Amino acid sequence: MEFVRLYHSLRRHAPLVKNFVEKDLKGRYIGSTAGFFWSLVNPLLSLATYTFVFSFVLKSRWSDFQPDSEVVLMMYLGIVTWGCHAEIVSRCTGTLVENGNLIKKIVFPSEILPAYVSVSALFNLLIGLGFVLLGTLVFGYAFPAADPTPPGWIPEPSEPAFEPLRVGLSYLTLPLLLALHVGFSAGLGYLLATLNLLVRDVGHFTSAFITIWMFGTPIFYPQSLVRERGYGWVVDLNPMAWLVDAYRGALLFGHFPSPLVLAKLALVAFVSLWLGTRLFFKARHRFADFL
Amino acid sequence: MSTQNAGLAGGRERSSAIYAENLSKCYRIYRKPIHRLWDVLFQSRSYEEFWAVRNVYLDIPHGSTVGIIGENGAGKSSLLKLLTGITSPSTGRVEVQGRIASLLELGAGFHPEFTGRENIRLNCAILGMTPEETAERFQRIVDFSELGDFIDRPVKTYSSGMYVRLGFSVAATVDPDILVIDEALSVGDEHFRGKCTNRLNEIREQGKTVVFVSHDIGAVKSMCKWVVLMDQGKVLEQGTAEQVTDTYLKRAKARGNERLSMVHRGKSEYPRWGTGEVEVTHFEMLDEQRAPTHVIQTGRPYSIRMQWKAHRECANPVFGVGLYRTDGTYLNGSNHQWREQPIELQRVVPGDAGEVEIFVERMPLQHGPYYLTLFLYDHSKPAPTAIDHREHVLTFEVLDVDRAQHGLIQVPSRWKLTRRGPSGTSELESAR
Repeated sequence: MEFVRLYHSLRRHAPLVKNFVEKDLKGRYIGSTAGFFWSLVNPLLSLATYTFVFSFVLKSRWSDFQPDSEVVLMMYLGIVTWGCHAEIVSRCTGTLVENGNLIKKIVFPSEILPAYVSVSALFNLLIGLGFVLLGTLVFGYAFPAADPTPPGWIPEPSEPAFEPLRVGLSYLTLPLLLALHVGFSAGLGYLLATLNLLVRDVGHFTSAFITIWMFGTPIFYPQSLVRERGYGWVVDLNPMAWLVDAYRGALLFGHFPSPLVLAKLALVAFVSLWLGTRLFFKARHRFADFL
Repeated sequence: MSTQNAGLAGGRERSSAIYAENLSKCYRIYRKPIHRLWDVLFQSRSYEEFWAVRNVYLDIPHGSTVGIIGENGAGKSSLLKLLTGITSPSTGRVEVQGRIASLLELGAGFHPEFTGRENIRLNCAILGMTPEETAERFQRIVDFSELGDFIDRPVKTYSSGMYVRLGFSVAATVDPDILVIDEALSVGDEHFRGKCTNRLNEIREQGKTVVFVSHDIGAVKSMCKWVVLMDQGKVLEQGTAEQVTDTYLKRAKARGNERLSMVHRGKSEYPRWGTGEVEVTHFEMLDEQRAPTHVIQTGRPYSIRMQWKAHRECANPVFGVGLYRTDGTYLNGSNHQWREQPIELQRVVPGDAGEVEIFVERMPLQHGPYYLTLFLYDHSKPAPTAIDHREHVLTFEVLDVDRAQHGLIQVPSRWKLTRRGPSGTSELESAR
């Protein structure tokens, strides 16, 4: 099994991975003047942009029954979750080619490259989740929003209903969600990194596809909206949609993810990692020749 | 095959630092990039083969210094990549015992965005050193490199000399069991090269194995006991340094002559001008056996010979030759009138013909490419006018086998050392 091979290699080269991750994070947080602050500002900027486009230009409303503070937190959580996925997939795609100088000219364990990209992205996600927790405490406990549902009104079952923000025991499922999330993304990363080394067009394809995928994931609109319009299958077939949904439930509203969703996520994460590492290790001994 | 297999001392696999058996490397050249994918996935065979290394047997015992020589494209670098494990062999196998550090190309193994310091850490980690081991050697590496403040700048801002300094410092300080070097050293300045040579000698004295590729036959001869000569991916010969470098030089001479005379067969692109009363019809260089050549060895005699023919009357033609380095530096010029005993050719008339020959006792130049320019000028007029002036009339190479001296020219000298002590006075002399 290639998983096992990857696991052993990563353990053996842990100092090297650490080296790369440190350098990567340092470059991001110490190299820039705003540093650490960017990982908060960046998602906020995209949040502001998309809110403007969706709410003011397109006049679409998330829901009539959820206060704005909750909607903003849900979007924010969606953005950081998606951001982690997009970062892993797109950076992994180019990582072998970018580090060709190492692979081609010294004995280099190239399997650590997608891994370090993933670890680095995970670290950024954790920072983003820290801000989510902060927001939940502020808007859920310090300044809780009132239920905007008119008294006596019963929303349609398909519509998102009001629920108070809550930090609960469901946070315990976070490590599992993170593992499934990063496993899924990293698997794709290994696959695309290899493909891009063989056929460079893959990089162009990936960057286009990532954008399409983002809009196919309910980050800036509620799932119910797509279902209403009859595009439910887009959400049903999209593991990122399941993930975003599970994260929102667990981190904002205290819902434990359903075992079915977890099983589905585990399956796609497994398949993605299995395929990715299989192709990667199949071609690995010839990487230097292809560069 | 059997001669190659004879290998080095004993040839027992267990005692070898590097052991290679029937080693070949075939590069696949795909017509379209997508074919690479089909090849990996389905072993489709839509490619052409290029065999960079073919059926190589090597047996390098621990503690030996081995040189690999050969012309450009002979497969030396491909072989090193196989030995170090950067690429995987198409046939055969390599066995390596111990930690192997390599210095294959300029900037190899450096991340351009990382600073010198970070690259040192990176390389130590790649070589499998623990953080403690790295910390222990870190300062030594930094000191050896003499990079000063540059150590904290990204290596993409480095000059090629700095790359070599950093690369060599890492490779030589990480205490590898086997050190593999691919002629990277030739880039550094004289001071650093000296330092590298010292360090290499230390490493050899510690009983470590050193494998290196070089064009510098002098260096190979002075450092290696065993030399492998490669040609077109195959091992042409392996044996003692004396024996193999001799073969190499003979081949290089033959090749150099072939290559340079090819250049001369084509129409010269260099300017030629003059009034044309007298014409130089033939111009050549002769080695000590008086055979035409384009390759001369440092310290050996040679001569220049030309044939001339007069077409019209000319009052005072003077033959001269200028010697240049290929960068255009004028090294030497002489003619038959500027001598202590000048030769006066006097008036020549149509139909006259003859030869001019210049004998030189020893080639004073060191290794490298040079060229000659012909000056045939009429000195009867107030200012000499060109009769037949030919730039780049002949290109030649100087081979320096012994590398006894450094720099541009060889200066024959005699050395004398004296020691005075309580046990008396002793004098040591060297005539050559």
